[in-house]
Amino acid sequence: MSFEFTKEELEYIEELSQRYPSPKALMLPLLWIIQNRLKHIPTEAFKAVADITKTSEAQVYGVVTFYTMFTLKPTAKYHIQLCKTLSCNLCGSKELLNLLKERFNLLPNQQNGDFQLTLVECLGSCGTAPVVQINNRLYENLTPAKLQKILEDFS
Amino acid sequence: MSSKMVEFTVNGKKLLAFEGLNLLKYLLDNGYNIPHYCYHDSLGADGNCRMCMVEIKGKKRPQIACDTLIKEGLEVNTNTPTIKRLREEILQMQLRNHPVDCPVCDKAGECYLQNYYMDYGLYKEGKHKKQKIKKSKNIEFGRNVVYDEERCILCKRCVRFFANITKTNELGVIKRANHSTISTAPNQKLQSQYAMNIVDLCPVGALLSSDFKFKQRVWFLQSSPSICHGCTKNCNITIDYSSTKFQAERIYRYKARRNEDVNGYFICDEGRLSYKEYHTNRVTQIEYKNSIIDFKEAISKIGIEIFIHKDIVILASPNLYIEELESIIKWSKKLNARLYSPLECYKDKEFADNWLKEELRVANAYGVMALEIDTSTPDISSDTLLINFDHKLAQDINTLHRIDFITHSINSQGLILPLASWVQSSRHLINSSGIKQYAPKTLVANKPILTVTEWIEAIGGDI
Repeated sequence: MSFEFTKEELEYIEELSQRYPSPKALMLPLLWIIQNRLKHIPTEAFKAVADITKTSEAQVYGVVTFYTMFTLKPTAKYHIQLCKTLSCNLCGSKELLNLLKERFNLLPNQQNGDFQLTLVECLGSCGTAPVVQINNRLYENLTPAKLQKILEDFS
Repeated sequence: MSSKMVEFTVNGKKLLAFEGLNLLKYLLDNGYNIPHYCYHDSLGADGNCRMCMVEIKGKKRPQIACDTLIKEGLEVNTNTPTIKRLREEILQMQLRNHPVDCPVCDKAGECYLQNYYMDYGLYKEGKHKKQKIKKSKNIEFGRNVVYDEERCILCKRCVRFFANITKTNELGVIKRANHSTISTAPNQKLQSQYAMNIVDLCPVGALLSSDFKFKQRVWFLQSSPSICHGCTKNCNITIDYSSTKFQAERIYRYKARRNEDVNGYFICDEGRLSYKEYHTNRVTQIEYKNSIIDFKEAISKIGIEIFIHKDIVILASPNLYIEELESIIKWSKKLNARLYSPLECYKDKEFADNWLKEELRVANAYGVMALEIDTSTPDISSDTLLINFDHKLAQDINTLHRIDFITHSINSQGLILPLASWVQSSRHLINSSGIKQYAPKTLVANKPILTVTEWIEAIGGDI
């Protein structure tokens, strides 16, 4: 299996590259393009990214595995990203985690049917902690009851 | 770094140094024992290990020495109670997930982490009794490099070696926080011809050479400086060998030795593994037509052969030292013999690159040229006597009348005399840049084995 950027994507990348001083800065935008299209970043795509950013596959691998929003395997239909950082922790993210464990049988880094749970670092919304991001949408000021309702609405 | 000398103090002692010089480099070069992992002379500072903390007057907190430049009036303290406590705490953090498997680790005895624990750690048991994060062991990186994720302290020296020195970027840090490890790209192995240098660079037991792994504990090894004989570059190496009682000395590995003028800090993998040649296929006995004869008989046979032949060709190996070549020149003049040292057969175009590997795969070719020895191929007729001093070409020459002084056995029906290998003798070499270097004698064979000069003296030539 090989990976190639489509013609439209390459045009967009060309446009993006004007914004940055070095091609290395294109790393995250490129990974976003792949993640959005395929719902994961296949290892075959590393070379395409490394070629454009003038880095190596090992470096791309490092970036992909560093950020929780990039995944090496396709994500489930609903990717639940639960914040584990301080503010959310103090405001009750542990209770949300317990709910996911007991009620939906979801453990961190595991898939269960349409759901997948990942514990992530700060989502940048400490004022409305605890927060959960499901796919691209942020759910704020959550309580276990609210989260349960949201997930039950999905299924 | 400017050329201005400035005065500064270390532990109350006034010192002089160039302004702008890296403080850690200065301290290490001048015999101060500053613990450090990520800093290496060839790679520079990275500042990720935080081990080289020193106190600087006027600064609120302790500073890392590798990121401090020397300037006028700098007051440095390297041994205050705060610094000692700090080092102990950093060690605790590094040992938090370290398996502490020193008894089975090949690096034990030359491990920075182990040494620093003995110097600054030694805290009470039970400080790291918590569950450790388990990771993979024995990961094959390729090119004889084996990686142990648990032992790694993530100083990134290996990553920086491929980023800054070879510029191939073959390694990267993957995952995050406590789960971080070093890795190649998925399904890929190391390709670099210099990959095994990262084993030398690794301060702990994370990167090991599969060639040396489990072969010998390092405290049984003795080290001797020497020169690699792989090509005309003459890289400086350290030979690690063991000399156990009642056993023949055995070389276990070569390591790169720092010499800014020749090879910098590194050597190529092929040179590093060339130690195996010393042990394989060595000639140890005097033989004549496949039967063993004694020393006196051999000397008289040489005398007769030299006496009855008018036309004598001497082949001298370009691996021999300058002084040895000089004595062969003298002897050849005395015998009225033709002396050759052909270089063509040592050429290997595929081996050469534009860094440390050179085309002529023989150590003293430039010494041969400096001594103006004929480097063309000799013509040998049926009644020419061939005296061969370990030259590679001799195994392809088919002649009945021959005397072979050789280190490694070849297919010959004539008189075979064992010769000391370059490791067993000492003298000078000239490399491709014209630098003359001294290679000391490292190994002494259990049975005495003669060098070129000793043989010529025994036969009765002048040396």
